[in-house]
Amino acid sequence: MARRLIELGAAAREHSGEGLDLIECWRGSEDVILVDAVVAGEAPGTVRVWEAGTAPIDRNAFPCSTHAFGLAEAIKLARILGRLPERLRIYGIEAAQFEPDAGLTPAVAEGIERAAQMIAGEANPCTKHL
Amino acid sequence: MSTKTAGKRAMTIKVDYLARVEGEGALFVKLKGDRVQDLKLNIFEPPRLFEAFLRGRHFSEVPDITARICGICPIAYQMSAVHALEYALGISVDPMVRQLRRLFYCGEWIESHALHVYMLHAPDFLGYQDVLELARDHREVVEKALRLKKTGNHLVALMGGREIHPVSAAVGGFYRAPTRAELRGIVEDLKWARDASIETAQLVSKFEFPEFEQDYEFVALSHPEEYALCEGRLVSNKGLDIEVAGYEEEFTERHVRHSNALHSQMRERSSFLVGPLARFNLNYDRLPAAARQAAEDVGLRLPCLNQFKSIIVRAVELVFACEEALRIIQDYEPPALPRAPAEAKAAATGQAATEAPRGILFHRYSVDAAGLIQNARIIPPTAQNLKRIEDDLWRLVPEIAHKPADQITWQCEQAIRNYDPCISCATHFLKLRLEQE
Repeated sequence: MARRLIELGAAAREHSGEGLDLIECWRGSEDVILVDAVVAGEAPGTVRVWEAGTAPIDRNAFPCSTHAFGLAEAIKLARILGRLPERLRIYGIEAAQFEPDAGLTPAVAEGIERAAQMIAGEANPCTKHL
Repeated sequence: MSTKTAGKRAMTIKVDYLARVEGEGALFVKLKGDRVQDLKLNIFEPPRLFEAFLRGRHFSEVPDITARICGICPIAYQMSAVHALEYALGISVDPMVRQLRRLFYCGEWIESHALHVYMLHAPDFLGYQDVLELARDHREVVEKALRLKKTGNHLVALMGGREIHPVSAAVGGFYRAPTRAELRGIVEDLKWARDASIETAQLVSKFEFPEFEQDYEFVALSHPEEYALCEGRLVSNKGLDIEVAGYEEEFTERHVRHSNALHSQMRERSSFLVGPLARFNLNYDRLPAAARQAAEDVGLRLPCLNQFKSIIVRAVELVFACEEALRIIQDYEPPALPRAPAEAKAAATGQAATEAPRGILFHRYSVDAAGLIQNARIIPPTAQNLKRIEDDLWRLVPEIAHKPADQITWQCEQAIRNYDPCISCATHFLKLRLEQE
């Protein structure tokens, strides 16, 4: 996803998703979009968007954490430290499989491309109408 | 919740979901007066059966698969895996590769210890439910912790090729060695981190510690010339001194009904302790001068038999990790051979143990002549410490049984977190119940 976003002209980088490091990662940014695979019971490839800065995120969709410090805790801590971006959204792409060496299913690959186009179109007005 | 029974206060304390540990578990304690009638650290995270996943895979895949066992100590899994497989295949690595592996490990120790000291353990001593409450009152402390942890993350990413599940470690060395310029770029951050770690030791040494000295058998890797990370003999303060290959002859694992993680113990002995307190007591003289000075300045002396003080030891080990990383970077020359050729020629078995932030991580692999894994065994530090944690609680609870239930519960959880348990690793999962009848 990060590679595709960069190809589309958006400022993007890959990140482990580790909560505490995310706070450092978005330092100085006003509008941040996080993209991750989710397991929310939708059809594979479904793209869902959460306004994480203003509403609680669905913790069931983001169950992974490192020593109990996942995305939900990172958002709470960033808010206390005054380090939450003005706008923080999460694009969740419903995953199909997580086995080692399992590639992307066509439905998930299509979901990633759709999300990338949505994000890049917003980040870079020149690509908005591609 | 407590009731009077036959003139004696009886109580059941239950913590159904232990917070600030990695994974899922629970504690159940049943008390009558100051006598513990039952105590169980329930590990209900399901077994993850990683060893079975590995069977039939090529040995070169093992470092990347085992790294997925843990989000906070993937380097430990990679290092134990590559050393065990190199032992099996008879591979020697370039001396600079050996230094790079220590550097890689220093990054993981910095991020893991910074996380535990500040985010998971300090709230126990300061009376906060979690780091969120701590951050409301002491924003500058949490900001420092974030920066310290970031330095560790940065070093791991630099060495590991990327932040998500590092991919550079290989059997035989590294797929890519860093350039001198790349390593020089982190020197100023590491110098700041070393000073911040010294301040961390000073801060946590002022916490109030329960009087709780125990007759522990400490077990750690020991190397004659350095604070052991990847190599050495397995030693204890009670006479153990063996090659790592002899681990399974000295240590046994058994299943207990209330735990999906196996309990380790020493053959014909009992529980033992691995991790920072063991390393500090067994290898103190091999810490760099700055780390020994940091310990001395805060009054941390040998032997340290109080596991509640492991938070100070972790801070001292933070100083060590920063110092060691700076030393390695200063002397660094890119290795002539970043990755020695690795191939299987005959069936072979190899074992290795390395020092994960929580203690010894033992791996054993058998490969066939085609290089496919036939058998694997992984014994993480938390599984080794589980019986010792229960033993600590059996001794601690009678001493605090006169206190209100909420305080007993608090201190039991704190005693468990002394070990920075990683239940996800141990099952390759924590929740607390205290029952006063």
